[in-house]
Formats: sequence, structure tokens, C-alpha cells
Amino acid sequence: MTSAPASLPATVGQGLAARAAARRWDVIVIGTGVGGGLIGRRLAERGLSVLFVEKGPAGYRTEGQYLRTDLSDYTARQARGFWPTPIETRISGERPHRFFAPLGSGVGGTSVFYAAAAERPERHDLETTNAMVHPTGGWPVGFEGFRPYFTQAEDALSIRGEKDPLSDLPGPRLAAAPLTEAEEQMFRDLRAAGLNPYRAHEALRRLPGCDDCLGRKCPRPCKMDGRSAGVEPALETGRAMLLPNCGVEELVEGQGSITAVRVRADGRDYLLEADAFVLAAGALNSPNLLLRSTGRNASGCANSSGWVGRGLMFHISEMVALWPRRGSPVVGATRALSLRDFYTHDGRRLGLVQSMGVATDFGQIAGHLKGLIDRTRLRRVPGVSRMATIAAKIGADVFGSATVLVGLIEDLPYQDNRVEPHPDDPEIPLIHYTISDELKARRALFRQLMRQRLGQHRMMFLNFGPNLNFGHPSGTLRFGKDPATSVLDADCKAHDLDNLYVADASFMPTSMGVNPSMTIAANALRVGDILAARLSAVRRKAG
Amino acid sequence: MRDGRHMHEALAEIAVITEASWGLGRELALALVRRGISVAGIARDPFKAEGVLAITADVREPKEVARAFGEIRERLGTPTILINNAETYPDRDILDETPASFMDTVQLNLGGAFNCCHEVLPAMVAKGSGRIINVVTFADVSPAPLAAGYSVSKGALRILTRALVADLGDRFPGIVVNDWIPGTHQPRRGIPDGVDPAEAAEWGAKLALLRQPEISGRVFLRDREHNTPISLRGRVRDRVLGRAPVRIRL
Repeated sequence: MTSAPASLPATVGQGLAARAAARRWDVIVIGTGVGGGLIGRRLAERGLSVLFVEKGPAGYRTEGQYLRTDLSDYTARQARGFWPTPIETRISGERPHRFFAPLGSGVGGTSVFYAAAAERPERHDLETTNAMVHPTGGWPVGFEGFRPYFTQAEDALSIRGEKDPLSDLPGPRLAAAPLTEAEEQMFRDLRAAGLNPYRAHEALRRLPGCDDCLGRKCPRPCKMDGRSAGVEPALETGRAMLLPNCGVEELVEGQGSITAVRVRADGRDYLLEADAFVLAAGALNSPNLLLRSTGRNASGCANSSGWVGRGLMFHISEMVALWPRRGSPVVGATRALSLRDFYTHDGRRLGLVQSMGVATDFGQIAGHLKGLIDRTRLRRVPGVSRMATIAAKIGADVFGSATVLVGLIEDLPYQDNRVEPHPDDPEIPLIHYTISDELKARRALFRQLMRQRLGQHRMMFLNFGPNLNFGHPSGTLRFGKDPATSVLDADCKAHDLDNLYVADASFMPTSMGVNPSMTIAANALRVGDILAARLSAVRRKAG
Repeated sequence: MRDGRHMHEALAEIAVITEASWGLGRELALALVRRGISVAGIARDPFKAEGVLAITADVREPKEVARAFGEIRERLGTPTILINNAETYPDRDILDETPASFMDTVQLNLGGAFNCCHEVLPAMVAKGSGRIINVVTFADVSPAPLAAGYSVSKGALRILTRALVADLGDRFPGIVVNDWIPGTHQPRRGIPDGVDPAEAAEWGAKLALLRQPEISGRVFLRDREHNTPISLRGRVRDRVLGRAPVRIRL
């Protein structure tokens, strides 16, 4: 309790990049989110020398900031570990839109800001089952191939929670923290409505005084993320080094392999060399780095398939305010609940519903209603926005504080949904995305089911239009068996290159019905084992 | 566990007060000593105060400030509370100010506070918590005659408070910074006397021990939170919606 948290260097002395460039590493890991952090840890623990190259800062270990979208200064964002630039979306039928997405850039990546929700996907998310045909025919590694790594990832992330009563997936080994009486009542009410709630799976060690740290950096090694469960334990092995504030400019390609990465640090370029390279810069920036690495191919590195940056998926989020039944105590903010009653319906892919960890009172609902009104023609009607305030006030007086649930809906891969570096500024991810009719139809079904099943409580959808979750990008370097339609092979090694691996959400050919973090972590450990075995075998031969 | 930790922290508080040799600074130092806190006082000239580690340094000089804090860290430990109280009120017509005299006032009233913040912040950041109080006035709102350097520098000190919150508030919510207007002042002919420094010091000591992150950046006037006046419409709206601001009293 009183022992100091494992600390990272707060600032980087000049010459760290020069030191990193002076030697050859076993593996260079680009990016330190859940994927980069966990694979780096696994490789270092298997005895390999690992260099983490991180675009953002190490930060101070006592920081507790939320990921802000109201701060636009590049350097101020960078200092806080936020992705420093906006992203630009070109969504079918809409004008180009630039905004700050919930993306991190710093040690731990986006994961230091996540809500610590880490659940296993279902078998049908990865492969065809009796009930469900997989849209890609199945991942090149099926559910059984991933199963041991889900268990290992749960251990690495200290996952606690409860078994989903609807599935045969095992529950986490660690029990969830006790529920409050109001939460118990909410669980009972939902069960009475025929639903099957269970304790959400969370990556929190729940150290004494745990403050939940949803959406913000955790000042102690309590929330388990790419930093606390990846980079920090990796550094403790003594075989890993961290190079923060160091943006990768280019992967330097030789004959069938990557020879070095060109980075920018301390105002000059360095070439960093290794036997193998792991790309884990996130599903927007990993493909963009390949597309910018045009030394050998104008179409980008590892891009003979033309699929780099394509197959981009986000989840769609449906937010619902749920008020307690008459006579039930007010639950307010809770993150305790998950349910998979809407995960699939008649063979159609929907997704997980969770409590969001926020309560909503009339002020937020009023603000929300006003925001919705501002986006419609109603905004021109004088007084409408004041009406929204009054409506929300009446609602709040009658219903009290609501718990917010968020349902996520699986997005499916399309070749035309893609990311590329923005022509104006390569640091800005430019996203081309069309919301497909089948996604709209599944969304309508999801909302209809939620309305039916939650209806006897009091619920209100908090969004009208489809709400893409820009914090959940995936799929842009899909793994597959066919080099013509995928970028990576089953080992998450680039088809085109002998020593380039990927360990972030880019590898996913489909986005699944759950938050991606657990699967990113499991895959990172899996690819780490493959790469460690390969490099050790080469060593033994050479030795 | 949690309470135990807070108690432990309370006992481990180490406060530094500038210009602790007389008046409000001295009373603040003594009030904190009475609360069982280790206190160091900094002043330009040697002084004595019961239970206070007296350090001689000119806060205008960064090197002297660094030496003073080095000595405090060695003899008491790492400061957890800083009260920037040192100020000068030259009572000088602007026609008599020289560039040097004007900037000297700024260097003490603003520079002195920054020099001390610069000394305490690294350890506060490493710990994720700390307490800084800047003793200010409303002089910047409507400068009085003979107070050009004073009003400008004290106004700038209020901006420094807000700048500290802008740079640190989101990252280190445990570092709590406030403006405090004690209502005391140096007696001057023709101006009614201010609050008794001993009385003000009791409020200041309580304020120095408040650690709630939500109060960071708020302005305290004498013994209570000072809210900026809101319009009649705003007040009616707040009343209708039942969200009248809650004022903190010390």
C-alpha cells in the first residue's frame, strides 16, 4: 500500500535514442498499448532483448487525467498521452469531419484510458459454428487455438468477474468485488425480466483505495493495461528498454525482410536495428506506417494484397439510460453489469451490453437532448433547447438518476472501409467509411430487442443515429490464409516479409461482439510465443 | 486502510510559508505548528518563531530559494504545503516608479511565488499530491492609486494559480491550488485596518489542510469560498433547477 508504484522515467535524457541505435535488438516493438506492451513483456520474459519504441511520452506515474477531446494544442495533447492530432472521417453521405478521437499516444497507448472492460469473445466470433456461419469463413486460428491464451491474458490482466450464465465459457479465476445493495436489486430486477446479467469482467487489481479509474490514467499499478501489465513488467526483466517521445517515420525494407526502423528523436533521425519487428501502433496507425513506408513499393510495405488499411471496423455503440423500477433504490454509476442476452439473435451478430460506469442525471440528459437537437432542423425553432431542459428536468424528478448501459454491435469488414494517412498531414488518420445497410438493419434489430426486453424497466436511448466507436478500430491488417486477401498469416507475420509481426487490433478479420482488449492481449501473448520460439531456435542453431 | 493512510499523510505534512517573520505569515506558521504540522518559514532577514524552522532567503533570487528549500528538505523533509505569502506594497506613484523599481515588485510578488512553486512541484508530482496557496488580493480588479506594480504582479499571481490548474489539474488532481484573499493588509494612513492577522491565519491554516481535488482553482475570500457574481437570470435558473452553488466555509 505505501510502497511506491513501479515508476517509469519521467523525462528522457538526450541520447537515449542514440543508445538504442548503438546496438542490435532481438525485437523492436512499435507501440506500447495492450498489444505492444504484452508481447514485449512475453518476449523479454522469454529471454529476448526488446526495445519499445513509443511515439508518446512515458508520462508521470502519478498522472490521473481523463482522455480529453476539448484540448486541441498538439504539444499539450502529446504531453498528456493523447493522440496529438485529430482524425478525419469521410463517412458516406456526410461532410468530412475532423475531431479528436478517444485514442492514446504514450506508454500504455489507448489502454491507460480504457474502462478496464476485458471479456472473452464467443466461439462464433472466431469461427463457423452450427448456429452461425462466420462471415470470413473463420479466423485462420480458431477458438481452440486462442483458448489457452485467453486464460493467460486473464492472468496477466488480473481479470475478475463472473461466468456468463448463457455460455459455456469459463468465468475468470478472480472473484468480482461485492455488489452494493442497489446493484443487487438491479441484478434481481433484470433476472425477473428474464435476462441473464453477470458481473462484468474487469482488469482491475482492486488495490485498497481503488478509484475505478474509468476513462483515465490510473496513478497506481492497479488498473491493468499495456503499461502496468506490459511495459513495466517487461522493464523489470532488465532485458527491455523504453524509447518514448520517439515517432517511427518508416520501416526500412531489405530483401524480403525489415532491416531497420527510421525514427525521429531529439530532432534527428536514427536507424534502429533488430532481428524482428512487431507493429503495435494501433489499427489506425499501424497500417498508416506501412502505407508511408514506400522505400520498395509505392503501394506501401507488406501490401501486395492491397489490403493494408482496408477492412476497417468500429463497433457501433447504443447508449441506454435505465431507471430503477419503482421502489428500487437508485443504482447510479455502476460498471458491475454485463449481459449477453442480445449477443446474437436468430444467427445474426449483435454484441455485448455493459453498464458504462456513469450515472446520468437531468443535467447530462438535458445536455444530451440539446446536442441531439442541435444536429437536426429543430435547432432553428426558438426555445426548443430550453424545452429539452425542462423535459429532462421533469424526467429526472420523476425517475431519478439513471444507470447508463452501452450495447456494442459487431461491425463487419468491407474492403472500402479503410484508413490512410491524410494527404495534408500524415499524422492525421483519414478514415473512409460507409455504414452498410446490413449494419443498419442489425442496429434496428438490436434496439428493438433492447426496447422489448428492458422495456418493463424505464429506458431511453441516448443516441438516435448510429454511433461509431472510434476508440475500437480493428481489422486493417487482417490475418488470413490467402495472401491475396489478407496482410498477415496465421502467425500474424506479414505474408510479404520474413520478420514483421503485428500485435494490435489490426490483425482481427472480424470485430467480434465484445471489447477488443482481451483478444488483443491473448493474441499478443500467442504471437509472442511464436516469435520467441522462432528466434530461440535460430539462436540454438547458430550457437 | 484508507483512513489510516490519510491520517498518516496528515501527520507527515510539511508546510513552507514565505515572509513568515511577521504579520500574517508569522501567524500562519504558528497556526500550522499548533495543528501539529512541521513548518518552515522563509524571510529575507533572520527571525525567530516558536516551533518554526526559520530560513533566511530572498525569494526574488532563484538560487537563494533553491538553497532554502534544500535546507528545508534536509532538516524537515519534503514540503507538502506551500503558502506563497511574501509580497511588497511599495505605495508608490507611478510617476515615481522606475523600470527597475516596478520590475522589482513583480520579481517579489510574482517571481517569488513561481520560484517556490518550481522548488516544490517535482516532489508533489512524484507523489501525486500537494497543496499550494497563493495569497492574493482584488487589487487587479480595480487598481488603487500608488499600486501599479502591486496590482499588476498580484493580478498576475492569480493568473499563475489558474495556469497551474490548467497545466496540472487534469493530470495531477491531487495537487490542489487556490487563491486566498485573507483580508489583511499592512496598515496605511487613511485606509481602514484589515482583518486581524491572527484571525485570518486560522482560516488560512484550515484552507491549507483542505485536500479535496474539486476545490482546486477556486478563490477563497477570508473564511469562505468566493463565487463570482452571477446574473439575475442565472440565479433564477439555478433556483428553478435546484442547483444553487454550494459555498465552502472554512
